[in-house]
Amino acid sequence: MNGPLLAVSGLSKHYRRAGKMVAAADDVAFDIQPGQTLALAGPSGSGKSTIARLVLRLIEPDAGNIRFEDADFLALGGAALRARRARLQMVFQDPLAAFNPRATVARVLDDPLRIHGIAERSERPRRIAALLERVGLPTELAQRAIHEISGGQRQRVAIARAIATKPSLIVLDEAVSALDVSVRGKILELLLDLQREEGIAYLFISHDLGVVRAIAHRVAILDGGRIAESGDARAVIDVPRSAIGKALVAAAPKLPAPARTAS
Amino acid sequence: MNPLLSIRDLTVRYDSRHDKAPALRSASLDVSVGERLAIIGESGSGKSTLALAIAGLLPRPARIQGSIDWFLPLDGKAPLGGRDIGFVFQDPSGSLDPVMSIGKQIGEVIRTHLGLGRRAARARAAELIERVRLPDPRAVLNAYPHQLSGGQRQRVAIAAAIAAGPKLLIADEATSALDTIVQAEIVTLIRQLVAEDGMTLIFISHDIALAAELAQRVAVFRHGELVEVGETADIVTKPRTAYTRSLLDAHLGLDAAPLLDLTPPVPA
Repeated sequence: MNGPLLAVSGLSKHYRRAGKMVAAADDVAFDIQPGQTLALAGPSGSGKSTIARLVLRLIEPDAGNIRFEDADFLALGGAALRARRARLQMVFQDPLAAFNPRATVARVLDDPLRIHGIAERSERPRRIAALLERVGLPTELAQRAIHEISGGQRQRVAIARAIATKPSLIVLDEAVSALDVSVRGKILELLLDLQREEGIAYLFISHDLGVVRAIAHRVAILDGGRIAESGDARAVIDVPRSAIGKALVAAAPKLPAPARTAS
Repeated sequence: MNPLLSIRDLTVRYDSRHDKAPALRSASLDVSVGERLAIIGESGSGKSTLALAIAGLLPRPARIQGSIDWFLPLDGKAPLGGRDIGFVFQDPSGSLDPVMSIGKQIGEVIRTHLGLGRRAARARAAELIERVRLPDPRAVLNAYPHQLSGGQRQRVAIAAAIAAGPKLLIADEATSALDTIVQAEIVTLIRQLVAEDGMTLIFISHDIALAAELAQRVAVFRHGELVEVGETADIVTKPRTAYTRSLLDAHLGLDAAPLLDLTPPVPA
């Protein structure tokens, strides 16, 4: 494949709210290169999650194009869409809401292997163990119920499920926002490891510019459904040009300077 | 500084079985009149349990040992939530009645605790709406919670919390569900209201940087225990414990070293 992994252009989605049409996404365009991270940042209601859902085709746009792996993603249907979906996975903020809480970890990881025909029944337990190991979880966890494990472990299971189908792109919608900071750092490191080793690209949705700056190659800052500015993540966040970019940077909580240890 | 309250050896259990660790274990902490104290910690640290214990809002099955002594002119009575202590929760929808107008909800606090009549309470509610900087106070008085944004609802919850003129305001993760811009606005508002009314503030947060921006002192909790407490500048520049150090290091500020290593070529 030459060119971008994902190319979005003219993407628009409007909702009716209190009798008025509101643009949740308004003529949005961006590319994601293979193996890279594009972050979408912005305040509540800026359209971040709408764009994530449009890219995942959980909702359909009013207008626009999405090319994914050199195919017209919006034109796909039926078996072709299901097959392509294996390459485009997702992890949300709250994995407890995404899983049946009474299902075991093994069951959660068995589903994608079965549905996408990735491994024969007899081979799946071995695959599940390998996935757990890949995300830094003990293989014994397979038999535990989802509601019995910690929030950080659940998010690792969500990542394991996402990588089970060997995706080229994972949409991460506030995937680390609900985690304790000590857990968050380790999950971010896991995501970066997976990217380095498997070449996975991320569409990383976050309201936290500190996290975006630490892990994204590029960032698009959204306001009212439009991209206010975009570019190299550190360049944009270090010197924002748009009003919303400046407001987000000003609002980010900052520790007094001498607090940071050299590391 | 004059003490407002003194907590000694406070232990709280939600589970009567003694083999389970208590939610809060032998916590001792003094709070001075007019100070801004942050209580920070991760999930399971006991920070919210401590806030609820101070406010007298612990659920019934909770078993409490130790003492919380108040230095308020209360004739030996316990301080009253709503009157002496204002409480702002993470989710304002939880404390606002969805089918009652904003004016009525705030007015109810005023009538209950200050004994004002309906008309006077409504006038006072309008003043409070203005104090928390909601646009178009008259329209807000007649609005219902679902007609407001999350940030506006939190402003209403703050107005209701301070309506009776409490000595102590407790904000428990009051900005955690808001985006960073609205969060900064709410923190600015809380700081201003606390200063204007001479209230004491207990600000509960998981975010050490946010806490450090607002508080004069920070108490760090972990697994139900107080790890350390001190002046904010000391806590963030020379923490005495490895745990506080790790919280500071885990903070990803806009000046943090990037985790992303851009040197190796990206695999095709």
